[in-house]
Amino acid sequence: MDPISPGETIAPQNAQPARKVLCIEDEHFIGELYKRALTNAGYDTTLEVDGLIGLSLAQSDQFDIILLDLMLPNMTGIDILRSLRDPNKTPHLKAKIIITTNLEQREDVKQDIENQADGYIVKAEMTPKELVEFLNNIG
Amino acid sequence: MDYLSRTKRQFSITILLSLIASNFLIIAGWITLRSKLQLSNIDYALILGLLAIILSLLFTLVLTKHLISPLKAIWQLIVHISPNGSSVNAPNIDSLKIGHELIANLSMQIYQLSSITNTKKNEEQQLTQSANRNFIANKLPLPLFILDKEETIVFSNHPASDYIGLNQADIMGKNFYMVMDMAFPSDNTLDTWLKEVKSKNATASMSWERVKLNVLDNHPTLLFDLAAYYNKDNPDNYETILVLFDHTKQYSQDDQAVSFVALSVHELRTPLTVLRGYIEALEEELGKEMNPELQEYMQKMNATAQQLTVFVNNILNVARVDNDQLQLQLREENWSEIVQSAIDAISLRAKVRGIELKSSIDPDLPTVGVDRLSIYEVINNLIDNAIKYSGKSTKIEISSYMSKDGMIETSVKDYGLGISPSIMPNLFTKFYRDHRNRAQIGGTGLGLYLSKAIISAHGGNIWVTSNLGKGSTFSFTIKPYTLLAEELKNSDNNEIVRGAHGWIKNHSLYRR
Repeated sequence: MDPISPGETIAPQNAQPARKVLCIEDEHFIGELYKRALTNAGYDTTLEVDGLIGLSLAQSDQFDIILLDLMLPNMTGIDILRSLRDPNKTPHLKAKIIITTNLEQREDVKQDIENQADGYIVKAEMTPKELVEFLNNIG
Repeated sequence: MDYLSRTKRQFSITILLSLIASNFLIIAGWITLRSKLQLSNIDYALILGLLAIILSLLFTLVLTKHLISPLKAIWQLIVHISPNGSSVNAPNIDSLKIGHELIANLSMQIYQLSSITNTKKNEEQQLTQSANRNFIANKLPLPLFILDKEETIVFSNHPASDYIGLNQADIMGKNFYMVMDMAFPSDNTLDTWLKEVKSKNATASMSWERVKLNVLDNHPTLLFDLAAYYNKDNPDNYETILVLFDHTKQYSQDDQAVSFVALSVHELRTPLTVLRGYIEALEEELGKEMNPELQEYMQKMNATAQQLTVFVNNILNVARVDNDQLQLQLREENWSEIVQSAIDAISLRAKVRGIELKSSIDPDLPTVGVDRLSIYEVINNLIDNAIKYSGKSTKIEISSYMSKDGMIETSVKDYGLGISPSIMPNLFTKFYRDHRNRAQIGGTGLGLYLSKAIISAHGGNIWVTSNLGKGSTFSFTIKPYTLLAEELKNSDNNEIVRGAHGWIKNHSLYRR
């Protein structure tokens, strides 16, 4: 695969507007890497480190994909996920929610998270480029 | 006029009439005697005296019987209503000739008094009972709630109010769900359960793990297990009894991380993610500008970071195996595809060590029933071991075929150091490592222990054959999918969940 030069953006394969990604991630380096890879692949990426602000951004319903870390300041990713899936708190959400975490959960907790989310990724198991490929393949 | 003076007059009249009557009789006797018999005065006096005595005795007897009757009635009544007096009949007050009204009135008052005493006694008993109940409930060191039909709290003990940080007054009579803002780990909530049992059961009990309670501001979230007992039509209206078992400390730790190991794994994974991310970014940015030597350095860095990722997963899974927390989801998978992708993932690590991975996988293998991630880890560990113990040899062979007993056998063969027969029996033991190689070859002795646990949970076998100095072959078997299909048919969601130490029931509550 050809390397991508810095700053260069690649237009999405189809002519549709760039898909918008909200990345709620408090680890700055990981956020930076994800933003770089996503931007290079033509995604419009918004980074947020704070859980509470992340939730209100997500509830604004302007994103196609939400990458959600679980350990976050002010509000945990699990609570954000629950709020986003609670029709009383979030009436409409078009975005797909992908949990990105390095945290290991008990199996039942994990199962519960997986049931509510559209994807579950262990960050250490995927490079940013692999993450982009993963996102390209989900609807 | 009150009953007492009326009775007094009745008494006076009776006595007066009796005296008049007796005097009249004596006079009448005297007149009769005088007209019929001529006697001396002394004789008259003697006879009349005798007559007076006889009459007095007669009147006394009649009067006493008459006058004592009200008193007798009262005595009879008191004895009758006393606890041991059931053998004495109640007096017939209507037959009383004297003091009828007074006695009727008095006996009514006595009846009232006795009934008041009885009520008092009952009330006292009830008070004692409820005090005992409260005492027990409050000494029970667990929060306890009792709900009525409408799920209103009709009782809560002190530990309950203390636990949720509210006053008794703020709890009693309130709807339970308004007081307790609970979150359950699954769809099976108290609410849905109660709805179901109310429509079907007379009594039922249930328990939940890891219930979360959102309490008021400035109060940390509480985590507890909940036990419920439902009893339809309980006479005291105690329909649902709820007991809470606090596990806030334990569960909040668990929720943040399964254990110390999981927390460490998290702390290791984060820098690993960053490292792998920047290595990838560097490769992209510099790519072809790098000379072959630099490219090789980059690959070695990448391979090492990958290896560390696998190792971190090993630590985590060993902890899970040891705590009975490793769960496998067995699904139908294409075996050659799994083996090939495991080989691809580790090929960079082999390549930087100058080792070639050769694979021969029978293309006609049937599908298998495996937990993809875990089995992937087994293959990865076996190839990783082969790479580590390859010595100067440059070839590792991976093959997969149908064994004679209908299992799918996969082996990883290296041509390296080999294993001394003396240590073979301990090879699959945790932390066991070949001491002769410890100095030269890195590792923890977790890989084979974990692989054995995973393969056993799949219902397969793992073993090794080795020639010291000539290399080793690690082999394992797994079941074809058809052998699992029957079990799968009986499972509810098209997968089988297994623990590393045998079967565990899917979604069971007290799993550990």
